[in-house]
Amino acid sequence: MKKRCVITGLGIVCPVGNNVAESWNSIRLGKTGIHEVTSVNTEGCYAKLGGEVCCNDLPAPQYDRSVRLCIKAAVEAMGDAGLDGNAAGEAGIIIGSCIGGAVSIDEYLTAQKTGTEDNSKISNMAASSIANNAASYLGLNGVTANIVNACAAGTMSIAYACDLIQADSGSLFLAGGTDPFSSLAFAGFHALQALAAENCSPLNHSQGINLGEGSGILVVEEYEHAVARGAKIYCEVAGYGVNCDAYHITAPDPSGEGQMDVIRRALASAGAAPSDIAYVNAHGTGTAKNDEAEFLSLHTIFDGTNVSVSSTKSMTGHCLGAAGAVEAVFTVKAVSEGVLPPTIGYSEEDKIVLAKKAGALDFVANESRKKAIPMAMSNSFAFGGTNASIIFAKEGWKAPLTEAETETKIYVTGFGMQISQSQGMPVASLNLEMKDFTERGVKLGVFRKLDKFSQLQLLSGIDALECAGITVSEENERKIGTIIGTSAGPVTEVSNFQKNICDKGTTAGSAFTFPNTVYNAAGGHFSIFTKTKGYCATVANGTQAGLQSIAYACDVLKSGNEAIMLAAGTDEGSDMVTYFYEHSGINGSRTLGEGSSTVCLETLSSAETRNAHKYAEIAGYALTHSAGQACYTEQEAMRDAITAALNKAGIEPAAVDRIYAVTSNRENGALEEQVLNEMFGNTDRIDVREQTGDCRAASANMQVIEAAKAIDEKKIKTALAVAYGCGSYCAIVLK
Amino acid sequence: MERADVAAKIREMLIENLRIPAEILEDDSELFGGDIGLDSVDSLEIIAGIDDLYGVNMTGVDKTNFRDINALTNYVLEHAEA
Repeated sequence: MKKRCVITGLGIVCPVGNNVAESWNSIRLGKTGIHEVTSVNTEGCYAKLGGEVCCNDLPAPQYDRSVRLCIKAAVEAMGDAGLDGNAAGEAGIIIGSCIGGAVSIDEYLTAQKTGTEDNSKISNMAASSIANNAASYLGLNGVTANIVNACAAGTMSIAYACDLIQADSGSLFLAGGTDPFSSLAFAGFHALQALAAENCSPLNHSQGINLGEGSGILVVEEYEHAVARGAKIYCEVAGYGVNCDAYHITAPDPSGEGQMDVIRRALASAGAAPSDIAYVNAHGTGTAKNDEAEFLSLHTIFDGTNVSVSSTKSMTGHCLGAAGAVEAVFTVKAVSEGVLPPTIGYSEEDKIVLAKKAGALDFVANESRKKAIPMAMSNSFAFGGTNASIIFAKEGWKAPLTEAETETKIYVTGFGMQISQSQGMPVASLNLEMKDFTERGVKLGVFRKLDKFSQLQLLSGIDALECAGITVSEENERKIGTIIGTSAGPVTEVSNFQKNICDKGTTAGSAFTFPNTVYNAAGGHFSIFTKTKGYCATVANGTQAGLQSIAYACDVLKSGNEAIMLAAGTDEGSDMVTYFYEHSGINGSRTLGEGSSTVCLETLSSAETRNAHKYAEIAGYALTHSAGQACYTEQEAMRDAITAALNKAGIEPAAVDRIYAVTSNRENGALEEQVLNEMFGNTDRIDVREQTGDCRAASANMQVIEAAKAIDEKKIKTALAVAYGCGSYCAIVLK
Repeated sequence: MERADVAAKIREMLIENLRIPAEILEDDSELFGGDIGLDSVDSLEIIAGIDDLYGVNMTGVDKTNFRDINALTNYVLEHAEA
């Protein structure tokens, strides 16, 4: 890291309290928030318990419950950090979520049965809408993203906020996670028989999870920025790691290999040894598979230290995409107050069993305790094999600061694309057959598991690796990562799953379908097939997510762990997708297409070592967001993104040979055209959607492929790719 | 219940719920392992499907009963209420 990132504000709403004081008090007293579930119909279910938020004053009823919980926690965090309206305007917001707008999908489909559906709910369905809606409500104009890596998302969003600070993409972020209680998750985990019938008992009886809900928000701020405004500093974000098991779509690798690697990544980035960690907030879900793998990982890394470990999920339940954020709030409180949160639920007999299993590790059974905690770790392990680990330390911890910008050059060294052709039709689809998979070595057992979204991503990703001439081996598997951008994610699988339980009840959830309802399943399937075990993230943030994935991947490459990153844009089509776009009025007049586009990005040193063909250099990139208010309009945000990307590339607007633009669908992008005309006059301009239809994130991403090919063929020297989505712009300059 | 009907219904359920291509699914095709390659999550889906079709609960039943469509059919015929 080259900059220090600190935590200056906390906010929370969860099953054990509606603010930080209430929640932390419950945790210290070991009070559970698990009760009989009331928001989901549990008729016929073998399990009926869960942790629900009891709060009568959630703001913003026009939004999905995920957004309302998020805003509630964000308002508290902003107040705690002393951010009034003006100071907050520059803040960005990075939110982790597993299920996105599942409650809105449920409400829509339930109402549809009686013909009373409300089409205004459609725009709340995708996880893409969460950060944008929250930013709009709170008036935030900094960079946004929704990190949708299931149960690791809340931890990853804090890490990504730090990455953005390192990349000079902002100094102030609200970062965390949110997920509401939902029939989708309840029916899904019920079908997987992963719910506990009794109160969950993580790191103890391990008979399953209780689901929870809520939101945790942390104000993540660049240290000098915090000092300059006299902010109270809770602690430092000392380090973090993200990786992928590449083992199974729902289960952790029983060897704990991926978990141990991610813990080691976090320790290395913090410049810390296991013995520096005084407390670990474990993932600790309470399923047998999780707890066994986690015991093994913790013993392997921490035996011989005096670390204390607990699972606060024993009180909150598993808050999915919010879990990592809720637990980060508790971990920060643990560090700043010197209190170990307990794992509750141990009987006297259990404690005897625990003593054998725990060895020298301290599992803080039942009661909180005082302990000096200079440094603490919080771990999150998710569906799709995503692992994330983050370390908080008391102010003053000196993580190894790298020298300012040892300039890492990044090149496009390959690409793959599966994309529809518009051919003047209102809807363009891409028919994939089993032979498309078998000829790439994908066996039936894998192919069967893929929904359309995953199919598209798997093919374009495999083709990008092939095009770049990369063979994944034990030597490089942890150096290759993936960032996938999407607008709507696996909307067909989610809707089908939800429709089934709306029609037949909560017990009708499909164990087969449920794993694909998480947005990062496509990335998980890809990693499992290709055995790529580096950084992995899926970002849902409108069409421009297909470009933002490239900017994100470049930030990851610059942090130095990975040598190769695949950055993709993927959005599927289906009758369901067409219906939603038509009924929400957001598709404009263009053909609705589908596809996946993947760019292989590589550091100069890696490309040269492999003697790889370099198509083009990613010379500059920038992200901006407008909350849609008069003080900072979307046109200004677009101009700023382009200007910043050109500045980073050291290129004047007049030197840009060609512009690829995927604009908004409002008035067919007239406002954006105006900005481009002002900045670039009549420079050659291409809208890739004319050929392919509006493939959303795939369209945004394929612009970079088209630009890199044109540069490689010496048709042009420099190109700009820009895309809009959910109030955000991403601009990328290639040369 | 006619054996052939039960086998056909189970086959249809496997094709529909587990995306097994119809052209490769015979009554004696090995479901777990082999080309089809079902796993533990898929077995939960089969249990739910059989329960849905015939009210027969196969939770915790020995895995030999899941070997192929024939084995599943035998189990249903032996345990379904007439």
